[in-house]
Amino acid sequence: MEPLERAGPLGELTVLLREAAAGHGRLMLLGGEAGVGKSTVVRSLAGAAADVDRRVRVLLGACDALSTPRPLAPLVDIALVLGGEVRRMLEIGGRREDVFSAFLAELGTGRPPALVVFEDVHWADEATLDLLTFLARRIGSTRALLIATYRDDELGPTHSLRVTLGTVATGADVRRMSLAPLSEEAVGVLTAHSGLDPVALYRQTGGNPFFVTEVLASGGGIPATVRDAVLARLAPLSASARTALDTASVIGSPVDQALLGEVAGPSLDEIDECLAAGILRAEGMAVVFRHELARAAVLEAISPLRRAALHGRVLAIMAAVPTERHDPALLAHHAEAAGDGPAVLRFAPEAARQATGLGANREAVSQYARALRFALRLGDDERAPLLRAFADASNVSSWGSATIDAREDLVAIARRNGDRAMEAEQLTWLATALVMEGRNEEAEAASRTAIAVVDGLPDGPASERVYRNQSFLRMLNRDTVEAVAWGERAIAIAERLDDRSGLISGLNTVGSALLVGGDESGGRERLERSLRLAEEASLDLQVASAYMNLGSGFGEVHRFADADRYLSAGLVFATERELDSARHYGTAWLALTRMHQGRWDEATGLAVDVIRGPGASAISRIMALLALGRVRARRGDPEVMTALDEAMALAAPTGTLQRLGPVRAARAEAAWLAVDGARAAGEARAAFDLAVQHGHAWFIGELAYWRWVAGDLDTPPSGTAEPYALQLAGDWHRAATAWEERGCPYEAARARAEGNDETAIREAIAAFERLGARPAASAARRRLHGLGARDIPRGPRATTRANPAGLTAREVEVLRLIAGGLRNADIAERLFRSPKTVDHHVSSLLAKLGARSRMEAVQTASRRGALDQDGEPPAPR
Amino acid sequence: MARYIVERTFPEGLAIPVTNEGAAAVQGVVDRNGEQGVTWVHSYVSDDKKGTFCVYDGPDPEAIRRAAERNGLPVDKITKVSVLDPYFYR
Repeated sequence: MEPLERAGPLGELTVLLREAAAGHGRLMLLGGEAGVGKSTVVRSLAGAAADVDRRVRVLLGACDALSTPRPLAPLVDIALVLGGEVRRMLEIGGRREDVFSAFLAELGTGRPPALVVFEDVHWADEATLDLLTFLARRIGSTRALLIATYRDDELGPTHSLRVTLGTVATGADVRRMSLAPLSEEAVGVLTAHSGLDPVALYRQTGGNPFFVTEVLASGGGIPATVRDAVLARLAPLSASARTALDTASVIGSPVDQALLGEVAGPSLDEIDECLAAGILRAEGMAVVFRHELARAAVLEAISPLRRAALHGRVLAIMAAVPTERHDPALLAHHAEAAGDGPAVLRFAPEAARQATGLGANREAVSQYARALRFALRLGDDERAPLLRAFADASNVSSWGSATIDAREDLVAIARRNGDRAMEAEQLTWLATALVMEGRNEEAEAASRTAIAVVDGLPDGPASERVYRNQSFLRMLNRDTVEAVAWGERAIAIAERLDDRSGLISGLNTVGSALLVGGDESGGRERLERSLRLAEEASLDLQVASAYMNLGSGFGEVHRFADADRYLSAGLVFATERELDSARHYGTAWLALTRMHQGRWDEATGLAVDVIRGPGASAISRIMALLALGRVRARRGDPEVMTALDEAMALAAPTGTLQRLGPVRAARAEAAWLAVDGARAAGEARAAFDLAVQHGHAWFIGELAYWRWVAGDLDTPPSGTAEPYALQLAGDWHRAATAWEERGCPYEAARARAEGNDETAIREAIAAFERLGARPAASAARRRLHGLGARDIPRGPRATTRANPAGLTAREVEVLRLIAGGLRNADIAERLFRSPKTVDHHVSSLLAKLGARSRMEAVQTASRRGALDQDGEPPAPR
Repeated sequence: MARYIVERTFPEGLAIPVTNEGAAAVQGVVDRNGEQGVTWVHSYVSDDKKGTFCVYDGPDPEAIRRAAERNGLPVDKITKVSVLDPYFYR
């Protein structure tokens, strides 16, 4: 019988199945709240599959409702039925890529069509999510309809399924559907002969089909919750049947009847009772709970002590089975629920290793964490390997301080054993973990301690790692000289020990430091060598890292054509190999590159990709937010500070120039474009000393520039990057050329708009309008009006020489406006400068003209022909 | 979701005929907006038909711009606003 109000969805699914059978495979993401009937629809479809195509194979798999699920659970379920290569690969513990490929081959055009179902993927382990992504990209050329069902109302903002859905949902062969609860009418139809008030029932259940049918089956009144409804239905069961049911809920669905028999005693009659009551259902040879919600309700109703005891009995019987047939993830689950420490310590690490083999990294870490929870009373020798395994597999961003605690624990253990090499090694891992958490000062302290520890030890793997770690920290902080010094020491050891991986890392760090320190060829040479060696050694993460450091490094020194090349190649690589972290960082930097190149629509599109994706790390978010914020500011769009405030909040804890420099520069620009000179100066000042201290030409350059235009800088600092240095010296013309060489049309136009050359300013206005830079275009137009439509020689220096009174071009502007009757504040607004800057110019004017008042200055200048060509100042507007 | 005012300039003057074609054009704008998650609430048109002030709901300014581009509509300025209504103060 077809379920109520599901004709539409079933129709759509049937069409998709037909398309798949014809060779156009599809992935359908079927969402809906728990109990809304996703399973029912799928089973309906499965039942009618033969009508679509006689040869359709129905392959059903489900994800576990366990805190740490079994890796690839749905595929394991399917493999039992499918047999063949997939089953063989899983049994021998084959490589994940091979398992995935074997499954894909099973669904290909040479095989009969298939309806594949992965149920409850909101509980999916990492390997299953990867399988889903893998299949989504390739399903179009298969003959399979893959349906993944999930509880869409149970996905919190950081739920890993969200990332997967975001990644696959835009695929050409992917469809989405959401099942809605029943309408009031439908509830009315179901309640027809029950004596219950359909309106009250609808209100209480919200139309949830499972809830509604539970209430109707129990035959009583309308309970408050689903749980109550389920338990009400169980009321008539005999005590022994209830015991059997409780045990079944502990074992899990589908229920292994032999196992049930051994735990709860002979119980065929009791099972029949449960089947009759409708709480259990027969499915082929197995017995299942009618719904996961039902099992959950039964499980929760068992008293905690009894539940633990049941888990213990189930564990004992499962563990007695020969080892080859063990399912360590299930055993670890029951062991923890039973509170059996030794069993957890036996099975959880095994489960972790199995998960690692299948690439379910998150589950592996979770199993190690589980083992550690029960390892508190173990000695150092037994805890250390668990701590290492946990820390090595875990990622600070997912596990927070747990990873750091584990590293600190290992350092302490190493000290107790007097093992200096291990102590140094773990200290460097600790430093890296602390950096990832933005605790840079503590990371520095750990690194310094490690250096002291290896002092006196002969050069070896420990000291290599320590020096490389210190080089990395220095590079992050843009201390080029020290980064290179430490790095070269590490490289020398790596070469002597023929440590490929260490060499690749060292070259990467030193190359990055050189590049952002201004040695473009030295940096490029080492990073490219690192890249090549990593490619030869098939070290994907290192390859991606080299690409991204080349890209972001060239970006940081404003060589955007180079940056673009490396970032684009790097993104292709990272996407192919599914290296999400590298992909996000590369995308964020590509957004910045596009921003500087004036390709603003692309920039914002890329930036939003990173910001919206829940998997992006803090550093990727910071750079993406900067790209977005700057484009909005330059366009005059709203929500500039929304983006830049968040970037600041993320960057502040790091305390590093690498993040604070760009964030402060962007905020200074935003303040300036919002005509708040004081704030612009404040933002630029905040990171200025840090930039000068580290000698970073580009950060110094931009921060000095903002201070200068805001009237907050008397003398330009040394070591400023070329285009900014030229602007600070007033040579806007060469500055504009320098910017154009770097492919920065906005900055070039901005330089042109600072001169007095009407043609140049007109060019600038045209450029700003092409880019859509409204605030800058308006300011440039005002400046043009303020100057009058006259032909003024280029460059302040040339003008100063030409001007009879030795006035600079700016001073002439100001004087003209004074002559037009404007006060200083109005002049500042007109010329888009801060009042303080105008005051400086006025003082300079008075001094140069030997005048005691503004009007006297005008008269003197006019008499000496210093004001303009024909003696008439322009009329004020 | 936020509310925005989008100012547009139509140098030739905006003219949407009250015909089936006009209705189809408007519907096309609505549909393409929907693809970007953007809702056109209504617009105020100047007497000379050369300037409009369009009230939009959308997730961010970039979505407004993308929708405008897909619809071939100019964007002069986008301002984020919130509604102030005398009825609030009764």
